[in-house]
Amino acid sequence: MDTFLAALFSGTSRGAIYALVALGLVIVWRGAGVVNFAQMGQAMFSTYIASTLIQNGNSYWVGFFVALFAGAALGAFLDILVMRPLSNKKKTELLSSESMRAAIPVIASLGILGVLQALAGIIWAAEERGFPAPAAQEGFTVAGSVMPFTSFDVFVISIVLITLTMTTIFFKKTGVGLAMRATALNQEVARLSGIRTNFTRTLSWAISGAASSLAGLLITPTSNLSPNTLDLVLIIGFTAAVVGGLDSPAGAVLGGFIVGLVISFVTFYLSPEDVFISILAVLLIVLIVKPRGILGGKDSRRV
Amino acid sequence: MSSTAKNPSIIRRSLRRTIFFIIAILAIGSTFEPYNQAQLAVVLIYFIGVLSVTILTGISGQISLGQGALMAVGGYSTALLMTNYSVSLWIAVPASIVGAGIAGALLGIAAARLSGPYLAGTTLVIALAIPTIANRFMSVFKGDEGLPVDVGYPPSWFTNLFGEPSYEEWQLYVALPFAAIALFFASNLLLSRTGRMWKSIRDHETAAALAGVNYSRQKIYVFIIASIFAGLAGALYGLRGLVGPSVYPVALSLTLLTAAVLGGIRSIFGAFIGTVIVVFLPDWIDLVLDNFELSEQVSNFMPALISSLLLILTVVINPAGVAGGHHHKHK
Amino acid sequence: MLKIENLTTSFGSVIALDGVSMVAQESKITTVIGANGAGKSTLLRTISGLESPASGSITWEGQSIIDRKPEDIVRAGIAHVPEGHAVISELSVEENINMGSLFRRRINKSDVAASLDEMYQLFPRLQERRKQLAGTLSGGERQMLAISRALVSRPKLLLLDEPSLGLAPLVVEQIIDCVNTLCRSTGLTVLLVEQNANTALGVADHGILLALGKVVADRPAAELKADSTLRAAYLGY
Ligand SMILES: Nc1ncnc2c1ncn2[C@@H]1O[C@H](COP(=O)(O)OP(=O)(O)O)[C@@H](O)[C@H]1O
Ligand SMILES: [Mg+2]
Repeated sequence: MDTFLAALFSGTSRGAIYALVALGLVIVWRGAGVVNFAQMGQAMFSTYIASTLIQNGNSYWVGFFVALFAGAALGAFLDILVMRPLSNKKKTELLSSESMRAAIPVIASLGILGVLQALAGIIWAAEERGFPAPAAQEGFTVAGSVMPFTSFDVFVISIVLITLTMTTIFFKKTGVGLAMRATALNQEVARLSGIRTNFTRTLSWAISGAASSLAGLLITPTSNLSPNTLDLVLIIGFTAAVVGGLDSPAGAVLGGFIVGLVISFVTFYLSPEDVFISILAVLLIVLIVKPRGILGGKDSRRV
Repeated sequence: MSSTAKNPSIIRRSLRRTIFFIIAILAIGSTFEPYNQAQLAVVLIYFIGVLSVTILTGISGQISLGQGALMAVGGYSTALLMTNYSVSLWIAVPASIVGAGIAGALLGIAAARLSGPYLAGTTLVIALAIPTIANRFMSVFKGDEGLPVDVGYPPSWFTNLFGEPSYEEWQLYVALPFAAIALFFASNLLLSRTGRMWKSIRDHETAAALAGVNYSRQKIYVFIIASIFAGLAGALYGLRGLVGPSVYPVALSLTLLTAAVLGGIRSIFGAFIGTVIVVFLPDWIDLVLDNFELSEQVSNFMPALISSLLLILTVVINPAGVAGGHHHKHK
Repeated sequence: MLKIENLTTSFGSVIALDGVSMVAQESKITTVIGANGAGKSTLLRTISGLESPASGSITWEGQSIIDRKPEDIVRAGIAHVPEGHAVISELSVEENINMGSLFRRRINKSDVAASLDEMYQLFPRLQERRKQLAGTLSGGERQMLAISRALVSRPKLLLLDEPSLGLAPLVVEQIIDCVNTLCRSTGLTVLLVEQNANTALGVADHGILLALGKVVADRPAAELKADSTLRAAYLGY
């Protein structure tokens, strides 16, 4: 029973972070038509910025908010510098086929990932460093026994839930949110409606950048910080997004929790070495049984 | 696919390319000192792997980040045959591509349902998951420690004829015939009707479907062929000394993709140029950096930084790569 | 007034518009008719900035709008209702309409609400379905929605691409009537593309016949309607 509770709690808290990562992927996928494989590289970069600030004597919260801002700025910057020139490129012969148009941004995002990791290595050295948590990481003590649930877990889950709620409200209730959804769904009609799609796309990158930076800040206290630590988080986040439905923000969140729980139960009941195989299994099962994900739509884009 | 074999002019053209390739490599290789001969051997090995990306992404438009995992399949098959059954490498390497082909068929069946970023992400997960199998089945795959294998020594008829080569030179001579065969097949494939059909699928999925092309089945074929190339590359790559999870990291898949894109994702010539760039780039950068007093931290990450920057610049400025104009000739 | 001179647009080797010159007079309905593939949609798409022409000029209110982005052309007062009831199925009716006035939101917020109400008065059916997803609407309702989306941007020129496509004759009549009334009562300039030449020429002031990317006739609508030789040669009836 103890193992079960421990697995459940740790899975929920981890799942919340994966939900954030998946949400970041979904926002850029829907808003700009790109699956951004550099996303956690961006998060790694802004977490290093936070870490440096904190090591230099600033408070955790200064580092925290600067990292969120840096994540957003970096996302916007990458879109303007790399992705926008790509998407506005005149249709050359190479870009004329649908499959190549899908492949090229993926390749560009891998290039961005490589640049960010190499830069982080050059600036901050390759050795791992720790990253502080703003809340205690020891389990609560209830009636003399230590529970597998920490104040940091509570912090993680509440901050993720607040973020998810705010994002939902932003997309559903604001004009800019509507403009972003319109751009994601039908760029041509959006432009004919006077929406500046270049701007909304950059905004998608910025919001996604901030969300994934938040994920980076929340996950590094329990792992470590190095240029490559967040690679695995990206893979897990991608799986979560596909499980929930790459087209559906709500699905991304659901997928995050599902994958978090699967990983946690595999770790506790089998062995940590089986985590990747089980992620792969979950991914393949979903892709075969329900290729558009649990909450993914029926029509629109082909998988 | 039989149309490939029936067209003598295509075969002659591919053969001419291959013979030119062999002569060029031998001529250049003989002027190199051992270190660069070993590097040239790596070029040949990567070249085979990059051809798998050219076929998969450049010709059929599918993007895979899991070619490194398929290389691992080739590597482990060879190593197991050689260590457990004392099979000669000249039999083990060709045999190992069967394993890679089967893995490719399985991957292709999954991939036939996917496209674009879905395929990229799924193959990336596969690239990460496959090496962990080495630890799961410790007794067979020997975990992180891996299986030591190498190219051994040249047979006596070889030394009698050509004298005693250095170990590095022998690595080059082992890789060369396989690279030449790979080049010959890739060239045939690209020029053949099958290759043109794959291109038409890439360019006009709907139109190809209307023209009666069985889209999913062709996708699986492409995957099998590309996996055979990757498996062959992986087998040779392992023969540099060790087959283990650390030899086939995810970064390897990315290196292959980078090489293919830099050189020109649609051409064989581009695949070779890209491979040369990727393999020799660290050495060239070292040459330049030697003139500056840079810390080890900086120089360690410089090759990765430069090649990633080159990758971005290529896709943004000239997605057709270095050999960009070249591929028109294949049409 | 919209003035087009020598406009050429091509897709690779296909020349869709081949030196087209025409005008759309202010507060008048000009219709462009022609067979399938004549280049009618390309003409509208080039005006609204979705395609970039190889050569030629497009002048709107005395200024060249070539090389401007679609989103800026809307702001200049040209609204385009593209072919095939272009609405966003995954958004609600109200969101689809509001989308068209988003860019005016910062300038005048109450105006946005007012234009939504105007559309509901124009098409009461849309008000009944305001919370429904656009994908659940009938073809006619979608066309009304697409027109509403365009109208809330307060255009001076409305580009309509085959509004009758796939709709029942009664619905077509209703939509055409509505456009006609708008033009006559508010002074809206309309450029109406149709394959259904009779309906279009019946309501328009001026007619332009397009064939293989070239203008083959440019005359008052009534005159064009009466010319049976042209009709037989280019429209096949
Ligand atoms: N996106 C495109 N790519 C290639 N050819 C196109 C494209 N759009 C239109 N065309 C071609 O341009 C010509 C005119 O098409 P269009 O303007 O749609 O005609 P219409 O609207 O009068 O039916 C046709 O030959 C069509 O095939
Ligand atoms: Mg048309």
